[in-house]
Amino acid sequence: MKAVGEFLDRILTIQARDPDDARRRRLLNVLMLGMFVSGLVGALVVIGDAFTLKSLGGAGSQLLLPTAAVIMVGIAILYYINRHSGRWAAFLFLLLLTAAFSFSDTPDQLANGRSLFVYTFPIVISSLILFPSASFIFAAIGSGIIIWLANSASIVPNVPAIIGFFMLALVSWLSARGLEQALKDQRTVNANLDRLVAERTQALAESLTRERIEAGRSEAILNSIADGVIVFDNNRRAILANPALVNLMDIPFGGITGKRLDELLNNEQITINGQERFQALLENPGPIGESLRLEWGKKTLSVNAAQVFDTAGENIGTVAVFRDFTREAEVERMKSTFVAVVSHELRTPLNAILGYAEMLKEAVFGSINEKQSLATDRIMSNTQHLLGIVSELLDQAQIEAGKLKIRVEPFKPAELLENVHGVMDKITADKNLKLNSRIDPELPESLLGDSHRLQQVLINLVNNSVKFTTDGEIQIYLFRNNQTHWGMEVRDTGAGIPEEEIPYIFDTFRQVDSTTTRQHGGIGLGLAIVKQLVDLMQGKISVKSRQGNGSSFTIIFPFDAEETVHE
Amino acid sequence: MSNIALVIEDNFDLANIFAEATKAAGFDTEIIQDGLIAQSRLKESHPSLVVLDMHLPHVDGSVLLSQIRSDASLKDITVIIATADALMGDMYREQADLVLVKPISFTQLRDLTSRLNLKK
Repeated sequence: MKAVGEFLDRILTIQARDPDDARRRRLLNVLMLGMFVSGLVGALVVIGDAFTLKSLGGAGSQLLLPTAAVIMVGIAILYYINRHSGRWAAFLFLLLLTAAFSFSDTPDQLANGRSLFVYTFPIVISSLILFPSASFIFAAIGSGIIIWLANSASIVPNVPAIIGFFMLALVSWLSARGLEQALKDQRTVNANLDRLVAERTQALAESLTRERIEAGRSEAILNSIADGVIVFDNNRRAILANPALVNLMDIPFGGITGKRLDELLNNEQITINGQERFQALLENPGPIGESLRLEWGKKTLSVNAAQVFDTAGENIGTVAVFRDFTREAEVERMKSTFVAVVSHELRTPLNAILGYAEMLKEAVFGSINEKQSLATDRIMSNTQHLLGIVSELLDQAQIEAGKLKIRVEPFKPAELLENVHGVMDKITADKNLKLNSRIDPELPESLLGDSHRLQQVLINLVNNSVKFTTDGEIQIYLFRNNQTHWGMEVRDTGAGIPEEEIPYIFDTFRQVDSTTTRQHGGIGLGLAIVKQLVDLMQGKISVKSRQGNGSSFTIIFPFDAEETVHE
Repeated sequence: MSNIALVIEDNFDLANIFAEATKAAGFDTEIIQDGLIAQSRLKESHPSLVVLDMHLPHVDGSVLLSQIRSDASLKDITVIIATADALMGDMYREQADLVLVKPISFTQLRDLTSRLNLKK
C-alpha cells in the first residue's frame, strides 16, 4: 500500500517554484488520473463484454472503446504538458472538457435541459486549477456555448442559467481566493515556524558542540593534572575520578566511580582516624585553601575539599582534590627533626661553656687574676653571641616550619617587664646604657597573650637598640592604646635608621648596611623575628626614627588575643 | 625543710654547673643523671629543691614531675624545670615552680636559688 501511495505521489506531484502553481498542477493531475482510470475501466468493461458475449454490443458500446482510447491518449498528452509547461495544460484540459461536454448530449438538453449543469464543472474547477478569477472565463465560455446551442436549436437561451453560471463563478472566485489567501497565510506561518525551528536547532547544535568541546577540554585537563580529583554527589557516591587519583590511592581504575564513600574508605591503607577526618572534611569543607593532611598507605596526601554548585546555585556534591605530599612531609619532618636536634645539641654544649666560664669568673674554683677574668669575659660574651645566633636561627626555622604556636594566657605586664630586665639589665649595663621601663596606669593589671613570645619581642627590640646605641637610655613603655588595644614601645637614643631603609628593616638577614653587621654583630634576624611574631600575635608594628636621633618601635595588640598555630 | 637540692640532669657538664650554682646558693646538692635512680633518691633524700631536666634516660622528667606533684610527702618540693624546649617548658609551667629555658646561666640559677634558700 505504501509503495502504491509513494508511486502515486511521485507521478502526481509536480516540482514548481510557486507553491500555488504546484498545488494547482497537482490537482489537475489528480483529476486527470481519475478520468484516465474511468477511461481504462470503461475500456476494460467493453472489452470484457466483448469476450463474454463473443461479439461487440450495440452502436453505443462500439463508440465507447475509441472514446475511452481518445480520452486516455489525450490525458497522457495533457499530463506531459502539465509536467513540463504549466498552466497551459489546465486551460487546454478545461477547454477540451467543455468541448467534450458539448457533445455529450443533444443541443437542446445542453442548452436548456438535463445536461445544462455540465458547464458548472469547468467554472468551479477552473478557479481551483487555473486561477480564482478563471471561473468567470469559463462562465462566459459556458454561457456562450448554451446561447449558441440555443440559437442552433432555435430555442430561447436560458437566461437564469447564464446568471447562475456567473453567480457560481463569483462564489468559486471568492472561495478559491479565500482558500489561496488562507494557504498563503499558512505558508507564511509555516515559513516562520521553519525558520524558528532552524534557528533553535542551530543554536542547540552549537551549544551542544560547545559543551562537548568544553567537556572534552575539562576532561583532558582533569586527566592530565597530577592532583587526584574525585567528586561525590550528595549521597556520597563517587561520580567522577581522574587517573591521578587512581595512582595516588592504588585503587584499580573503574573501581571508583559509582562506589560509595564508605566503600572507598573501607581500605587498609587509611586509619580509622584518617577516615573520620576525611569524612568530616567532606561534610564541612571549610574555607578554600584549608587542607587536611592524610596518611594513605606509605604516602602522605594533602586534601582540599569544596562544595560543587551548578549554574543555578544548587549544591550538587563535593569535590575533593588530593595532592601527593609525601616528599614535602618528609622534608618537613627532617626540618623539624633538624630544628629539635640543633636546638638541643648546639645549645647544651654552649650552655656548658657559658656556665664554666661564669664559674671561673665567679671564683667558684678559686680566685683568678685580672687577665684571666678578662679572658673569661671574652669567652662569655662570644658564647652569648653564638647562643643568640643559634636562637635566632632556630626561631626563624620554627616560624618557617610553622611549628611556632602562640599560646594565649593571662599574664601580668609587670612580670613581663621584670623578666625582660632579668635578661637585659646586665647586657645594657655592660654597654653603660640605662634600661628604664614604665607601665601606663590605665593598663589592666592582667592581659591576655603569649608572655614568652612578648618577652622575646621586647628582648629582641632592646637588643637591637643596644646594638645601635652608644650612650643614653633605652626605654620600654607598656600602655593602653584605646578601648580595644594595648601597646608596647621601645625607644632608644641611638643612631636611628635612615628613612629610606625603614621599609626593609624587618626583612630576614638584613641590617641597614653591611658595615653595621661587622660593627654590631648578629646576623640580622632579630627584627625579622619580631615582625613575624607580632604578625602571629595579630599585632601591628611601626617604627619612627630619624638618623642620629634615636628610634622608637611601637607595637599594638588587641586585648582579645587569639591562639594561633602558624601553619 | 631540708637544705638538700637534687640536680636531675643527664648532661654531665650542665649537671655540674647547676650543682655548683645551687651549692653557691647554700644548698647541699646531689647530682643524679638517670630518671630511674632519681625516682628512688627523691623519696630517700627528702630534698627541698629539684632542678629537673625533661629529657632523661629510663624515666622521663615529665613522669618524675607528676610523681612529685601527686606524692603527699614530695609535693612541697620546689621544682625548677631546666629545658631546652620553650614549648615543652610552657606545657609544664603549671606543675613547676619555675621554668628555665636553656641556656641557663650559672649566676642566674645561683641568684634564683639563693633567694629560695633565704625564704626557708
